[in-house]
Amino acid sequence: MSAVSGFGKTLVIITGASKGFGRALALSIAPRLAAGSALILAARSDDKLQELKADLSRVESGLTVRCVAADLVCQAGVDKVITEIRDIHSDIDHLLLFNNAASLGDVSRYCRDFTDVDEVNSYLSLNVSSALCLTARVLSTFPQRSGLTRIIVNVSSLCALRPFPSWVLYCSGKAARDMMFRVLAEEEPDLRVLNYAPGPLDTDMQLQARSSSADDALRNSFSAMHAQGQLLTCDQSISKLMKVLLEDKYPSGAHLDFYDL
Amino acid sequence: MEDVISPEGRDLGRAVCIITGASKGYGRTLALQMSRLLKPRSVLMLVARTADQLNQLKEDVITLYGHNKLDVRCVQADLEKKEGVEKTVQAVKETSVSEMDHLLLINNAASLGDVSRFALTFTDPSEVNRYLSLNVSSALSLTSGVLQAFPRGLGLRRTVVNISSLCALKPFPSWVLYCTGKAARDMMFRVLAEEEPDVRVLSYAPGPLDTDMQLQARRFSGDAQLRRSFSSMFSEGQLLSCNESGAKLIKLLLDDEYPSGAHLDFYEL
Repeated sequence: MSAVSGFGKTLVIITGASKGFGRALALSIAPRLAAGSALILAARSDDKLQELKADLSRVESGLTVRCVAADLVCQAGVDKVITEIRDIHSDIDHLLLFNNAASLGDVSRYCRDFTDVDEVNSYLSLNVSSALCLTARVLSTFPQRSGLTRIIVNVSSLCALRPFPSWVLYCSGKAARDMMFRVLAEEEPDLRVLNYAPGPLDTDMQLQARSSSADDALRNSFSAMHAQGQLLTCDQSISKLMKVLLEDKYPSGAHLDFYDL
Repeated sequence: MEDVISPEGRDLGRAVCIITGASKGYGRTLALQMSRLLKPRSVLMLVARTADQLNQLKEDVITLYGHNKLDVRCVQADLEKKEGVEKTVQAVKETSVSEMDHLLLINNAASLGDVSRFALTFTDPSEVNRYLSLNVSSALSLTSGVLQAFPRGLGLRRTVVNISSLCALKPFPSWVLYCTGKAARDMMFRVLAEEEPDVRVLSYAPGPLDTDMQLQARRFSGDAQLRRSFSSMFSEGQLLSCNESGAKLIKLLLDDEYPSGAHLDFYEL
């Protein structure tokens, strides 16, 4: 491990990298990567990715940063990510995939309102299927070999464990993802798999939560957290996540919450 | 003992009782067992993809309980498709609510997915999407359509059952789709229970049943240890009959004491 408490020569892939937690992850992890590392940033918005790349190059001039503007729900979008990572030097010693891209779904409605299967399918396609397919493709592109540590992080939530009224899509998707990554951990003992619940972050998603949630008590509780300064900055949460990853003691497949650490 | 479901003479009321995946296995058994406990003029709606098997089941119910007791309706629908879900909801909407005191929806239709493969091989989004469409989305949209057809305030008791599994709680190697789908469903129905305090919501894990799905599990599971464990359950007679597990579910429904949204397993009861 280097003096700057970091990962060695690493290939890092971050989905949903254009803003919020994903963006903060990119900025946070970049200084921890040894020379020869590469950072792949995936999101739908090319403009925002390019801005992030520019911000990164100001601080980390030696780092290879590639932007992939893609919609990961389709095969073609995942193909674009794989194309970018395929020609990365195969002498990396760490592979680190952050499955961060997600959406809240329409939290202004209740279970009884989700009568349109297409809407539910579309939600699950992004929040569940794309995470499985991308993970499978990335791991196939960098298969197990001695000297390579492969780490898969699922950005999870308390919602994976507890039901919240007016949040059926988000809770179901997060519960599905946690299980998915637990199965992966069972099947592939050489992988390091972590379900990390980052806590209530001060992001656009949180804004959506406090302005749109149909359930009054939930909406009020989010508003109060915001008003009373109880939301976490992304950096606060990432700092704990980095510590957990670097200490590398978590049981593969575990669900760890910011507030547990 | 298996067939003694309600010694105290309790029943499921004059109900609109909807069972998906009714053509075989657990769904078929539940249809037969519940028919006994539905009061006259109840509607028993059987949903599955194969019309022949549904019609046969309808005949079997009528043979057992007569023509005049139950209004048995067969709905041939593929719940993996939007049209299938809509057709089923439409059939439910066409049911008259007058005189009914109970709405009972059994979300039983499911598939195992390809258990011969491991998570790393699931690179095709359309395969995963199709799986989730049947096993997760259709359960949500069907349930919501049915609850809208019989909304709160009609004076009707409303019960929604999710046929769950140990796989909703524990990961099994080579079973990524099934475990993921069951985990999603359990959470979905927990949210429903939070939102609708007047709806009785139960996730029931029936135990290892002796059905076609179990046959698939012991023949095809990619994980050798799992496959051996299913095979020995089979050869040592440890699989449960659908009747035995169905009877426990029905007792739960008749007792009506479970916390709404709870996950209850055959072996805990």
